[in-house]
Amino acid sequence: MAEPDPRQTRLPPHPSQWTDPASPVSFTYNGKQVSALEGDTIGSALYSSGARIFSRSFKYHRPRGLMCMTGDCPNCLMSVDGVPNVRTCNTPVQQGMEVRTQNAWPSVEHDALSVMDKLDRLMPVGFYYKSLIRPRISWDMARPIIRRVAGLGKVGPEKDPDSEHQHHNLHSDVTIVGGGPAGLAAALEAGRGGSRVVLIDEGPVLGGHLLSDVSVHPELEEHAGLPGYQVAARLAQQVQEMSSIRVLSGATAFGLYPGNLLGVSQGKCLYKVRSRGIIVATGCREVPHLFPGNDLPGVYLGEALRRLMHLYGVVPAGRALVVASDHRGYRLAGELAQAGVQVVGIIDARESSPGGDTADSIPVFTDSSIAGASGLKGVKRALVLDKGTGETRSYACESIVITGTYEPNTGLLAQTSTALRYDPELQEIVPEDTPSGIYVAGDVTGLHNLELSLIQGKAAGCQASLGVDRPTGTELDALRRAIREKEQAYREALEPSSPSMAPSKEAGKTFVCLCEDVTPKDLYQAIDEGFDEMQTLKRYSTLSMGPCQGKMCLRPAIELCSRYTGRTMDETGSTTTRPPLRPLTLGTLAGPLHMPVKRTALHERHVQLGAAMADVGPWKRPHSYGPVSEEIAAVRERVGIIDVSTLGKIDVQGADAPALLDKVYTHRFSNLPVGRIRYSLLCSDNGSIIDDGTITRLSERHYFITTTTANVDLMEEWLKWWNAGAGGNVHVNNVTSGYGAINVAGPKARETLSKLTDVDLSPDAFRYMRSAEGEVAGVPCLFLRIGFVGETGWEMHFSAEYSEHMWDALMDAGSEFGIVPFGVEAQRVLRLAKKHIILGQDTDMVSNPLEADLPWVVRLDKDDFIGKHALEAVKERGPRETLVGFVMEEAVVPEDGVPVMHLGQPVGRVTSSRADPTTARGFGLAWVPADLSQEGAQITIQVRGRPSPARVVHQPFYDPEGARLRE
Amino acid sequence: MQLFSKRKMWHKRPLKDSYDVVIIGAGVHGLSTAYYLAKHGITNVALLDRGYLGGGGSGRTTAILRSNYLTPQGTPFFSESLGIYETLSQELGFNLLFNQMGRLDLGHTESAVFGLRMRTEFNRALGVDSTLVGPEQIKKLAPAIDLRAGKDLPILAAMHHPPSGVIRHDAVVWGLARAVDEGGAEIHTRTEVLGINRSGDQVTGVRTNLGDVRAGVVVNATAGWCSTVAAMVDVLLPITTHPLQAFVTEPLKPFLDVSVSSANLHVYVYQTDRGEVVIGGGVDPYPTYSQGSTLPAAEELAKHALGLFPCLRDVNILRQWTGLCDMTPDYSPIMGEVPGVRGFLVTCGWGTWGFKAAPVAGKRMAELIATGKMPEQIAPFSITRFAEGRLVNERAAAPAGAIH
Repeated sequence: MAEPDPRQTRLPPHPSQWTDPASPVSFTYNGKQVSALEGDTIGSALYSSGARIFSRSFKYHRPRGLMCMTGDCPNCLMSVDGVPNVRTCNTPVQQGMEVRTQNAWPSVEHDALSVMDKLDRLMPVGFYYKSLIRPRISWDMARPIIRRVAGLGKVGPEKDPDSEHQHHNLHSDVTIVGGGPAGLAAALEAGRGGSRVVLIDEGPVLGGHLLSDVSVHPELEEHAGLPGYQVAARLAQQVQEMSSIRVLSGATAFGLYPGNLLGVSQGKCLYKVRSRGIIVATGCREVPHLFPGNDLPGVYLGEALRRLMHLYGVVPAGRALVVASDHRGYRLAGELAQAGVQVVGIIDARESSPGGDTADSIPVFTDSSIAGASGLKGVKRALVLDKGTGETRSYACESIVITGTYEPNTGLLAQTSTALRYDPELQEIVPEDTPSGIYVAGDVTGLHNLELSLIQGKAAGCQASLGVDRPTGTELDALRRAIREKEQAYREALEPSSPSMAPSKEAGKTFVCLCEDVTPKDLYQAIDEGFDEMQTLKRYSTLSMGPCQGKMCLRPAIELCSRYTGRTMDETGSTTTRPPLRPLTLGTLAGPLHMPVKRTALHERHVQLGAAMADVGPWKRPHSYGPVSEEIAAVRERVGIIDVSTLGKIDVQGADAPALLDKVYTHRFSNLPVGRIRYSLLCSDNGSIIDDGTITRLSERHYFITTTTANVDLMEEWLKWWNAGAGGNVHVNNVTSGYGAINVAGPKARETLSKLTDVDLSPDAFRYMRSAEGEVAGVPCLFLRIGFVGETGWEMHFSAEYSEHMWDALMDAGSEFGIVPFGVEAQRVLRLAKKHIILGQDTDMVSNPLEADLPWVVRLDKDDFIGKHALEAVKERGPRETLVGFVMEEAVVPEDGVPVMHLGQPVGRVTSSRADPTTARGFGLAWVPADLSQEGAQITIQVRGRPSPARVVHQPFYDPEGARLRE
Repeated sequence: MQLFSKRKMWHKRPLKDSYDVVIIGAGVHGLSTAYYLAKHGITNVALLDRGYLGGGGSGRTTAILRSNYLTPQGTPFFSESLGIYETLSQELGFNLLFNQMGRLDLGHTESAVFGLRMRTEFNRALGVDSTLVGPEQIKKLAPAIDLRAGKDLPILAAMHHPPSGVIRHDAVVWGLARAVDEGGAEIHTRTEVLGINRSGDQVTGVRTNLGDVRAGVVVNATAGWCSTVAAMVDVLLPITTHPLQAFVTEPLKPFLDVSVSSANLHVYVYQTDRGEVVIGGGVDPYPTYSQGSTLPAAEELAKHALGLFPCLRDVNILRQWTGLCDMTPDYSPIMGEVPGVRGFLVTCGWGTWGFKAAPVAGKRMAELIATGKMPEQIAPFSITRFAEGRLVNERAAAPAGAIH
């Protein structure tokens, strides 16, 4: 493409323009330098530099050019600085940008795949479903090719997960979506009395469609004699000056969720805006007409040319033909003529022309309609049908400008329970009733009159702030009366307009859906095949499923479907409008990529010791500090310490605490003597295990509970839930992060600890499963003598801030005995040797305590507890499967999770398994059918795909009598 | 040639006042049941749906098919279903666009890998093609993946399940509907069942917005709404309905040829043949019948998807949607007759695993209706299992393992 003389493509400067001729910028387009002006969008700059084909269509690879200039249609998608599918028509240009076309080879001008356009007969609607069925391989072979041809942009290289994306919460009394005349009026009215107002607008400048409106509005008393863009500037100025209004410009409200939550994106920021009242003043958009060739580059919506001329100072190229159905089309024709464009004519479907607004030199073809456009890579000729004579005439032109058909932007409203109905008088689908707290104003109501919009905005602003800053609604009543009168006048002045589209069967393709290249013919065929309501029609034809999500095609498609089936627009229905209304990047939606991680107060110590850390739920825990076997040996032969701060810890106090624990736990706690500890399980009402842990009675009414690391929040909820249900006097406090916990275990644990405490730790004074309170290294501690790892040991709980001091003191005191820290892997082996279970590893969500071989924890003689009924049933029917210990008969170690086989079928599973250090044979826990669960039973375990014999063992593998625990 | 055929795929017929079998719900389960009933010669059948064809879960599923389940009851069942899907295009003469892309279930923690290993081992023992693979192989299968998963949750291993795939879900509905219509059964959309009529303990028919319809057998195939339909015969199902949300991006050139799921990150990601990236996760924790989408769900999905695929950061999402899941306590379906209400059959509790099972479920339900005997393949899924304490622990059913 040749670089045209900028003086020929740019209009003289004008106050409505955003571009600054004094600030040139440049960027590259497919590697070539393009000059632009500060204030341009990529689209306006490319157009001004002579580009006409902006993209190739998804299916037929047809050339497509600028059409809407509002970011609504899919025609201008390009890759910008490596980001695919950017709407270039409304993306501001920046110095040095790298812009590339996509989905075309070798270029958008000459795309080899445009051959697809000739193959359309082979690709009728739904052709995928009807072809490549037999033989089966044909689809498998074709699929990868289709996969390569499909898709638009390319994803860039791997990106750093850290990004500048942010999320913010905003709260307001009134939020207004849309900064056009109605939105501005609403904001001023709502903000006047002090309501906190948020105004969200998509454009870089407030004003909406007024910004590209250069005509004067004598009907506005307040702004008489001012052109639209100056009215906008005035209102925007007032809004900026009002301190109660916060303006979010360049921001898109992409979703309206329950509870008046608006999702708003602004660049890399996502705002979550919650408001008492929301005013939807989102305006309307123009929609294309249906005629053969309606997708050719050179077919524009009127607003696109208004924006090109009045915002960016770009002269539309070539001769233009304007399709009008009211004064706006005529006005645009006049503006084009004034910009030096040769206007070939105005096509008006009405029988007589209203005249006015336009230069006399422009021919007007009344009672006519556009019947087609032709040209290879852009409009060359337009076909005009004279409806009176039935004759078609052809006119040479390079632009066909479509005006007069509007569709209210009701997307946000459609996400609420607002009723959207077709108004036959307005010929638009408009909101009828909005839910409470949601108001509408302006063009979105289907009434396109500036004066009316301003009053509607004012009324909505007044209504939304009622109760915030003004006591009554008398003012509102007056506004409503004015609206009623003006609306009636507006409706009376409407001229009956004939159908905006004449579905034609002539040569040349007509496109309903530009994103997916769907034609009326496709829709008719789909309807013939049975897809006769919008929901199924959409899915079968892929209508509205592309990047524009129905913005350009839904309205024309509903109309086509309604006419073809002879049903009303309302009966034809629509599809569901879903968020986001405008494409939203994953990065913005995701916000900062923080992964929550929990660390114990001893984390730095573990790091200093060179621990290999493992993820245990959200926690980081030391897997090991060195060879696991050495850690195991140290615990068994000397002394080891482990950070068990991640244990869930719940403090339970109150007169009804014993009753509550009796109710939720399977064991009994009302009879637990003070100073004693008991292990227990909790079950759901179907008898399956939810959690386990130790319960220590600190005083008559005070218990200290430990839970599994993963379940503490659930347990807190569970205890509180059942206490609330019983109306008991119990306080349940989750103290997990308040307390640090360290377990000291091994034959030298007593000697180590004794160096730091006055508490008498001698075997007779401090017996197994007892508790005491005392100081260790000057830190108040709760001592629990328990033995998860199978050796003499104490689990100490203390205020978390002393954790490092405690750890250091213990390491110091134990150094003479060869103390070592041990990690979760050594702990797992040690506990497995004792057949102590780990919840979630050795049990699952249907395991019950009786089959898990823990009958001693279940007190079926209690009056009641959660799960009792189900466990009685289990006891009565007898176990179906049982958790047992096993030892391999050969020197092999099964992996956790492998199946137990019987007669070639998996009948059970190994849940935990480790190697015995002396024999190198595997041992562990497994679920087996009840008839294979007796002591000594031979079972077969699948080890690395091969069956291997094992023997059932009921006793713990290590210290079966528990002598070492009690020493 | 079919390609150019404009034949109606199904017909609108007047609602008769009596059928042998009435199936409530014209989604994949109802359609599949009707399809297989015809093979037993039972064609005086009406499918009633208050919405449009396939507008419930069938139109909202992300359509991943797989059989890498855990239990000896579930795995063969889903495996048979996948087998039927593999040749269903040929059987129906309708291309369902099945893409057997395979699937990776990622494990980022030791306990997750334990679960994956258990499933892999059980799959292999039951003849299902699954293997546990390491990071290198994962990167080979999905080069765009970030093995660090956003730095803090490195991927340790994955279960690779090659037979898994993605099918065009609407095509399954349409293909089955066409076959059902050809077979003689009737599909009535926009026909709402308002009540179920009984005489003693025997079902006699349904009340609809178009009048009463007599039938000796009434099948509840209404997924997310199944508890409301069961309540019409005073049956309380052990089911709660939860929303499940997903979204889809703009079409991109191919960059991902395998579906990837992470239980730790509660997300799954795959790319369709059209180029769109589909991103979904686990069911939302609260029960509701609302199909509205929520912002927090989308934020979480986006965050977790970017953890796996940071290259998607600047990619646009096009639409977010929500389906309903009828969740059971053991992540397994409830199928068959309900004691005390003769002629009332349920095929529900399909949670997040219903679409995968539709062909085999319909086949067995039809067999049950035709023979009056509970087929052994679905006997474990009888509603009586809850009273008998015979839950089928199918944790592997949960999408991306989001429910623990």
